[in-house]
Amino acid sequence: MNKIAVIGAGVMGAGIAAHVANAGIPVVLLDIVPGGAAKAVERMIRADPAPFMHRIFARRVTTGDLGTELALVADCDWIIEAIVEKPEAKRALYEQLQAVRKPGSILSSNTSTIPLAALTDDAPWAADFLITHFFNPPRYMRLLELVTGPATRADAVASVTQVADHALGKTVIPCKDRPGFIANRIGGQWIQSAINNAMDLGLTIEEADAVMGSPLGIPRTGVFGLLDLVGIDLMPHIAASMKASLPADDAYVAAMRDQPLIVRLIGEGRIGRKGGKGGFYTRTKGADGASEKFAIDLGTGKDRPTERAVLESLAAGKRDIVALVSHPDRGGRYARAVLLDTLGYAAALVPEVADDIAAVDAAMRLGYNWRWGPFELIDRIGPARFAAMLREAGHPVPPLLDTVGEGRFYRETDGVAEVMQLDGRHAPIVRPDGVLLLADIKRRGKPMEKTAGASLWDIGDGVACLEFHTKMNAIDPDVLATVGKAIALGKKGAFKALVIHNEAENFSVGAHLGLALFAANIAAWGEIESMIEQGQKAFAALRAAPFPVVGAPSGMALGGGCEVLLHCDAIEAHAETYIGLVEVGVGVIPGWGGCAAMLRRWTEAKGAPRGPMPPVAKAFEMISTATVAKSAHEARDWMLLRPADGITMNRDRLLAAAKARALAMVEGYAPPEPKPLRLPGPSGRAALMMAVDGAVALGRATPHDVTVCGHLATALTGGPRADITEDVTDDQVRKLEREAFMALLRTDPTLARVEHMLDTGRALRN
Amino acid sequence: MASYTAPLRDMRFLLNEFVDPERLRALPGCAEIGPDLVDPILDQAATLCSEVLFPINRSGDEEGCTLANGTVSTPAGFKEAWAQFRDGGWPSLACDPEYGGQGIPKSVGLLIEEMICSANMSFGMYPGLSHGAYSALLKHGTDELRATYLEKLVSGEWMGTMCLTEPQCGTDLGLIRTRAIPAEDGSFRITGNKIFISAGEHDLSENILHLVLAKLPDAPPGTRGISLFLVPKFLPTPDGRPGARNGVTCTGLEHKMGIKASATCALAFEDAQGWLVGRPHKGLSAMFTMMNEARLSVGVQGLGLAEVSYQNAVAYARERLQGRALNGSANTDKPADPILVHPDVRRMLLTMRAEIEGCRALAMWVSLEQDIATLHPDAATREAADDLVQLMTPIIKAYLTDVGWEATAMGMQVLGGHGYIRDWGMEQFVRDARIAQIYEGTNGIQALDLVGRKMGAHTGRYLRRFFHPVLAYIEAKSENEPLGEFILPLSKAFGRLQQATAELARRGFSDPFEAGAGASDYLKLFGLTALAYVWTRMAEIALQKPDDDFYRAKLATARFFMARILPRSTGHAAAVMAGGATLRAMEDAMF
Repeated sequence: MNKIAVIGAGVMGAGIAAHVANAGIPVVLLDIVPGGAAKAVERMIRADPAPFMHRIFARRVTTGDLGTELALVADCDWIIEAIVEKPEAKRALYEQLQAVRKPGSILSSNTSTIPLAALTDDAPWAADFLITHFFNPPRYMRLLELVTGPATRADAVASVTQVADHALGKTVIPCKDRPGFIANRIGGQWIQSAINNAMDLGLTIEEADAVMGSPLGIPRTGVFGLLDLVGIDLMPHIAASMKASLPADDAYVAAMRDQPLIVRLIGEGRIGRKGGKGGFYTRTKGADGASEKFAIDLGTGKDRPTERAVLESLAAGKRDIVALVSHPDRGGRYARAVLLDTLGYAAALVPEVADDIAAVDAAMRLGYNWRWGPFELIDRIGPARFAAMLREAGHPVPPLLDTVGEGRFYRETDGVAEVMQLDGRHAPIVRPDGVLLLADIKRRGKPMEKTAGASLWDIGDGVACLEFHTKMNAIDPDVLATVGKAIALGKKGAFKALVIHNEAENFSVGAHLGLALFAANIAAWGEIESMIEQGQKAFAALRAAPFPVVGAPSGMALGGGCEVLLHCDAIEAHAETYIGLVEVGVGVIPGWGGCAAMLRRWTEAKGAPRGPMPPVAKAFEMISTATVAKSAHEARDWMLLRPADGITMNRDRLLAAAKARALAMVEGYAPPEPKPLRLPGPSGRAALMMAVDGAVALGRATPHDVTVCGHLATALTGGPRADITEDVTDDQVRKLEREAFMALLRTDPTLARVEHMLDTGRALRN
Repeated sequence: MASYTAPLRDMRFLLNEFVDPERLRALPGCAEIGPDLVDPILDQAATLCSEVLFPINRSGDEEGCTLANGTVSTPAGFKEAWAQFRDGGWPSLACDPEYGGQGIPKSVGLLIEEMICSANMSFGMYPGLSHGAYSALLKHGTDELRATYLEKLVSGEWMGTMCLTEPQCGTDLGLIRTRAIPAEDGSFRITGNKIFISAGEHDLSENILHLVLAKLPDAPPGTRGISLFLVPKFLPTPDGRPGARNGVTCTGLEHKMGIKASATCALAFEDAQGWLVGRPHKGLSAMFTMMNEARLSVGVQGLGLAEVSYQNAVAYARERLQGRALNGSANTDKPADPILVHPDVRRMLLTMRAEIEGCRALAMWVSLEQDIATLHPDAATREAADDLVQLMTPIIKAYLTDVGWEATAMGMQVLGGHGYIRDWGMEQFVRDARIAQIYEGTNGIQALDLVGRKMGAHTGRYLRRFFHPVLAYIEAKSENEPLGEFILPLSKAFGRLQQATAELARRGFSDPFEAGAGASDYLKLFGLTALAYVWTRMAEIALQKPDDDFYRAKLATARFFMARILPRSTGHAAAVMAGGATLRAMEDAMF
């Protein structure tokens, strides 16, 4: 598709337009309010989290007024309607569009509540029409629900699916034309049940959120925290539309009831975080300036200081979900009641909303960020046990549970994941064409190499994949040892190209700080220095290996996690990759070759200003401020990604893309021969420190920032004896990195920074 | 007959030379703390201990406490001794001046505690428990409770207890059954049974204030649901005198191995009126804030008993004539040589002395840090000092009480059969010392506290407060040739401790059983390394004064420690590194 239009510049429409721009596709954004579309784009440029992956992408959006500039859609291949949720208004718009849109263009609605049938009937656009339901925020939520009508052209569906999957990076889940489709139907019912049961069983909101959160694989916000996040006022809207479109005996509708507390909160404008007046939880500044958090008492409706939830069922539930739902305390009764409601409801919705059990699970995982979908949850409890629990509680048992009987919805046969079909048979889960998942490979066999920290997998065609699997994928001596083992295997010809990739939320959050801090606290300086050296050697060896190495990150790649990538021959990054050398935040500098690698990147960059100072200044600017690129596209600005590196929008396609890139490099591969660097030495250092002094004068740098920047400046400028007329090797820079790292780690403010990061997850500004 | 003389010379050495006295004087309210003020206090305490408390130590042990009609009588002389102790102002020594205390820092107070424990550990229990109750009320009591009770406790007019243990719950306080029901007037009604309550009932004071752990009706399960209450034996009248009898009675006295003059009571609370101290359900954390102080004091009990045993063993070894010296006698006019000439007797005496003086120095260092942690105006300095206190508290409690037990046994050994019979008083020290390894958290629990709580806190920040200054000291003195004989073994022990710490942390992180399996040996290794450090620092001072016998003895003892005691650290390090496999291998049924 060459051009796409979005009509309606509300939160969803504007966000969809921004994301189309992220995909590199020109987009027209129209709004009924004159100037509204342009304002929306302006707002999005400043928003955090950012709808654009790079602020420059805003230029790909052409804005206009719906009333006067509808003709802008004339050359668009796909028109996405995201206007007010009123069928008449939508149909009127479609009528207008008929006159201007080009033949064969596709028309879709982002409605979340209106059936497709109500928008088409025998309308002339029926063949071109479908529902594409994005989730908020459109850049970040990977789910796209797709509803087609009987008249919808197959090629239109294929075309939209192709663009949504490859260009927009979405997981496309086909849904039937039922109210709320999959995710909001189940999710809405879950929210309702979680609220009603919390009130009925007398839980505090902290208890409810603690139970309805991590133990069940649901985000930590639980239910009340989630409503605060998305807006409490959304609740009645969803309920009303479901009530209007679902039969009265639908379990969701039947259990609806007024919640005076919620009505009151909305009346007071306390609709959650977006309203600024708080919601179920409220944060205020106390007299001493410290922030105090309050929670609403569900019984009295009054605010009181938050209290940590302490329940035996929670402790039991940490280990397994069965222990949680069978615990007799109110936490256990709550988990049981809500799961019986929601999982039972979900099980009854197949095949009403979709024929594919795996699709229902995927929708809940991607649309509500659940770790497990409803059928995966039932499998964790045990379908037969769950059916018995339903019976015991007097709930109807959905036919699907009879079908599964003593079995499970998911199983594995000969290393292939299978899911139960409607007739009770199991069939392999089919991945879309071109999708290669490490999880599937791992199921099929044993790793070529494995330590407690990382594994090496054969991903076919002579390519190996190095997978980190420590907590948060922190890099520790085990991981480094595996890097060394992988290189040794590669040198022996066990594979011809290496991809470094994993499917965890984050590629790697960097060096194992806890290990380093503990060692520093017991003054084990020798151990720490040898760990630094081990990392430097392992990463340098990656670069010098006689086979191509491709880094394929997604999520955070920070500190040491970034340094791994900087030593790869190429990077194929998921668009949602957040890369940065953040070491100064914990009071040290990159010590695993990160400084040397950044100097090299800027020195070798095409079109960059010449001379020894620009690369130093560029690297210093980025590292001294602990800059993290907020997307793979932003990473290009900092030379963290080079022009030849690739970006993949769909995370599921990342490994395949990285593998293809690696294979393409095999023929005639020779490791890069690094030319010596030329660094400015003390005069360059003095120039950098002038900038730091400026920051101090402006109150932007703390005393310890000056110390850290001083060490960074020394390393980046080649040390006290460097001179622009003499060559400096990468090894020399690495030695400077190491010395600076060790010197800083021996200071109390650095130890305080590391400790604060580990204790709170935030940087200490000391 | 046994005797006791307070080791004032050593105490002054520690106060004035070993620690930097300026660090103490720099603290708010401590500007006057110096020899002029402290020496007379130490002298008077020494006199009191030798002349008043020590003489009733043996008789108190023989007579014990008696219970009749719910009333406990202390042994003869205790009431009079207490009156003298109280009137001398000793209970108020280390208390807040706002409530009538004298504001003497803990580091000085602890020296006096040692003297009291040497002289009469049973007697020391009474003011010890009172001081615990005082600290709890001071830190966590409401203004009203503090106004009503604190001055009485400080003056010694009334006394206090800590009621934690119940028949079904000792170490695991989460199992507590005593209940507290809110009453309409804001107080609570406490019902339940407590055991092992030291000073729970006695005839020394007109009123007793019990600090009682109990559960509120809405208490969460386990240790997160325990609250602390103040329950007076007599409810105070508006003018501050003992009024109506409260519902607490002594139902029994324990018969114990030692500290027989300390009344260890079973108490029954029946609908007794009490008041909440601190926040609901936060009783255990309120208790924990006092725990460090109490555990240091218990460690010093072990030290005190070791000291008195050493003094009497030395006296005996000088007088007792048996056998001839192995390398030729110098006493040919006598039928035999004093046993002091025999190498094994010297080994025992030097072992006792090296441990005692090392432990005293260690306790002095840590208690000074505790004063800094409490009083210093700068938050970061307080935190650093508190970190060290947190880290070293379990080590001091366990190591010093182990020394108490081992040294008193050794002192008894020096006397041979005469140590075993009662006449010489040596066996009482052994019996009295034994409890200190058990109460206030058994020494096994101390080891778990060290590896489970203290080691990992803030990813090892507490450890930093020990490892960094000690390594800095080693590095700073590496060129000091005369000190080399001490620095070398110290740095070796330090290296072993580093290695064991890293290994235990690594294993314990993935498997808590492993941390528990190495805990006790790790604590010993840590204690020995800490003693090597304080001994090296004491030797450094002693090397400056080669002509003074006190310093010559210090140096000789330091050398003995390095040569004969520190090598034990190798064994403990090896035991830590061996891990828990051999503890697991034996199946439960095979025991």
